[in-house]
Amino acid sequence: MSLYIYLLVAAIIFTIGAYGIMTQKSGIKILMCIELMLNASNINLVAFSSFGGNATGQVFALFSIAIAAAEAGIGFAILVALFRVNGTINLDKINILRW
Amino acid sequence: MFGDYAALIVLLPVIAFVLTLFFGNKLPSGGAHLPIAAIAGSFIISLGTFFEIYPNGSVQQSMQWFSTLNFGILIDPLAVVMLMMVSFVSLLIHIYAVGYMAHDPAKPRYFAETSLFTAAMLAVVLSDNILQFFMAWEIVGLCSYLLIGFWYHKPTAAAAAKKAFLVTRVGDVLFLAGIVLLYVNMTNVITNTGFSLEPGNFILQFKSMFAAIPYIAPTQLTIITLLFFGGAVGKSGQFPLHGWLPDAMEGPTTVSALIHAATMVTAGVYLVARTFPMFVEAPNALLVVAYIGGFTAIFAATMGLVMNDIKRVLAYSTVSQLGYMMLALGTAGMVLGAKAVGISMFHLLSHAFFKALLFLCAGSVIHAVGTNDLREMGGLFGKMKITATTMFIAALALAGFGIPGLHIGTAGFFSKDAIIEGAYEYGYVTGDMIPYVFSILAALLTSIYIFRLWFMAFSGKPRQDRHAHESPPVMTVPLMILAVFALFFGFSQTGFYGYLETNFVLMGVEIGVHEGEAFHPSALILWLPIIVGVLGLVISYLIYNRRIVDMSRIVTRRNPLYQLLLNRYYEPGLSSYVIGEKLTHGTAAMTGEFVDRRIIDGFVIDTVISRTLLSLGDVLKKIQTGVVRNYISVMLLGVGLLIILLRIGGT
Repeated sequence: MSLYIYLLVAAIIFTIGAYGIMTQKSGIKILMCIELMLNASNINLVAFSSFGGNATGQVFALFSIAIAAAEAGIGFAILVALFRVNGTINLDKINILRW
Repeated sequence: MFGDYAALIVLLPVIAFVLTLFFGNKLPSGGAHLPIAAIAGSFIISLGTFFEIYPNGSVQQSMQWFSTLNFGILIDPLAVVMLMMVSFVSLLIHIYAVGYMAHDPAKPRYFAETSLFTAAMLAVVLSDNILQFFMAWEIVGLCSYLLIGFWYHKPTAAAAAKKAFLVTRVGDVLFLAGIVLLYVNMTNVITNTGFSLEPGNFILQFKSMFAAIPYIAPTQLTIITLLFFGGAVGKSGQFPLHGWLPDAMEGPTTVSALIHAATMVTAGVYLVARTFPMFVEAPNALLVVAYIGGFTAIFAATMGLVMNDIKRVLAYSTVSQLGYMMLALGTAGMVLGAKAVGISMFHLLSHAFFKALLFLCAGSVIHAVGTNDLREMGGLFGKMKITATTMFIAALALAGFGIPGLHIGTAGFFSKDAIIEGAYEYGYVTGDMIPYVFSILAALLTSIYIFRLWFMAFSGKPRQDRHAHESPPVMTVPLMILAVFALFFGFSQTGFYGYLETNFVLMGVEIGVHEGEAFHPSALILWLPIIVGVLGLVISYLIYNRRIVDMSRIVTRRNPLYQLLLNRYYEPGLSSYVIGEKLTHGTAAMTGEFVDRRIIDGFVIDTVISRTLLSLGDVLKKIQTGVVRNYISVMLLGVGLLIILLRIGGT
């Protein structure tokens, strides 16, 4: 199989994630979209590493997964806190930083 | 073997500092035993090192810090005698403090800070380069601030701590400027002349500095040494930066003892002694040292005469005695060369013993009667025999009692008379007798004020009914040990001078010892110091014990001289009101008013510039929608644009 197939899959997943981030209002959905984008880049890393014959990329992918887990943990914690304060996680409603 | 572990001399008290600070409140007597054990360890290593390197060895360890700077240890004769003195006196003061501070709730903080104080002073002593010396010197300053303000809930103590920190900081800035100037000169010398560092030597090491002396221009050398001396003036409380030392009495008495005997004020004298080869090549700087020292000796002694606070008297005494040490370096340095370091350091050591003793005795008295005021004491001899006796020994040592012909006397007799003789010899050679006159008059005043203190505290009838009692053994035993040293330390004089004379030779610096013609002062010169000493004792006895003169009629608010002395020549007011409030604060306020209000506000408030910027801001802030999705979209758009641009640029 060619490398391009992997890159194509990654690109599709990344685009879905990016689209979701731009259109969704719920904080949780946005976080899930971020995960999609992260995993798209992970696929790229692993693919290049596998075809390039260099294991470094796979190690990076492992790191990136660990960091994604931590990021998700913090993100959900923030959302829970937000929900307690505002009663909503609709990010369009949370705009107190506006002018 | 001991020399290899020289770093532990500093590290042990540092470890004790950390442990006591964090775990002291869980240990018996506030964790006092940790610093005591650590400093005892430092003392043992110092002692062992001394026996290893005696009579003409040294310990030198050095490692690169960065670039051309290093960390290192240099233990030569000069350093090792200081190390032994500092660790020993500090050890005794720490033991004493177990009793003195027994009722204080903040013991862990006290013992942690004194431990760090001792460590910093030991680090000053065994530095092998001037930069490390300066860093340790600054830690000493910090610890003095913390300890003088130990009872920080007292406003006077907090103010005194601040004053000590700020006044010594004036000196520190001069010292740092001296180091920078020295560094510039050293690099110039290396690039422009034939001088080069020996392999393994670093640029600010003392031995490199001394080796470069012949290549540095004399005027530069004079400026550098004067700046160094400025640092010493601040740290050692010399005129005109002496004001902080008497105020520093606001701390616990044991802290005063540490500052005055072992760990702080001697650092200034040690700095001049340490860089003495540079001073010798800059005679003008040496002259300044001599005159400042001589003037301080007599100036401080006059104020010691009238103080009513027992610790203040001792504080002025310290300032005066430090003046003697500077005087010795200056005058004897010009006529006797390297021997001046021996003379000065000998007085430093013997002073450390008897001044620590005086302070600890004063602490014992204060502990017993609960006041610092001499006028409320009196008649304590019967109740506090050990304290009274040891304090009398210390007073004898301070006044320099002894018999010149027979070489019998207290420690102060040997050390102070050598300084006065050195000053006389300087006068004899150069015809400039002023330093000698200063020193002999100061000796008379010294004797008067110290016996005044003793008679007022211990003789006569109690002026107030206080239930005085002798202090516990943990306090009196250090007193007795120090008293032994105050009495008998002087007999090591000849050996001490001989040992220290080799000091700079070890570093490859030859300072000529100018002993051309044998100098034999007349009998009067030999006897004069002891004559004025006895005279002082008699005067004090007659006035304060026999009361042949009614002092209450001389000491009145109407006597201008008494007013002048009691108000310490108006120095506190001068420095805090004139310099502090009027000059510094006034200048700052005026500058602030002018620059901020007129210039900056004038440009900004309600002008074209400000109005344009404000209206522009009103328009641009609409971009901040506060909707996260918008931000992300713009960001993705930006990243996409960037990638496209990179592709275009790449091909």
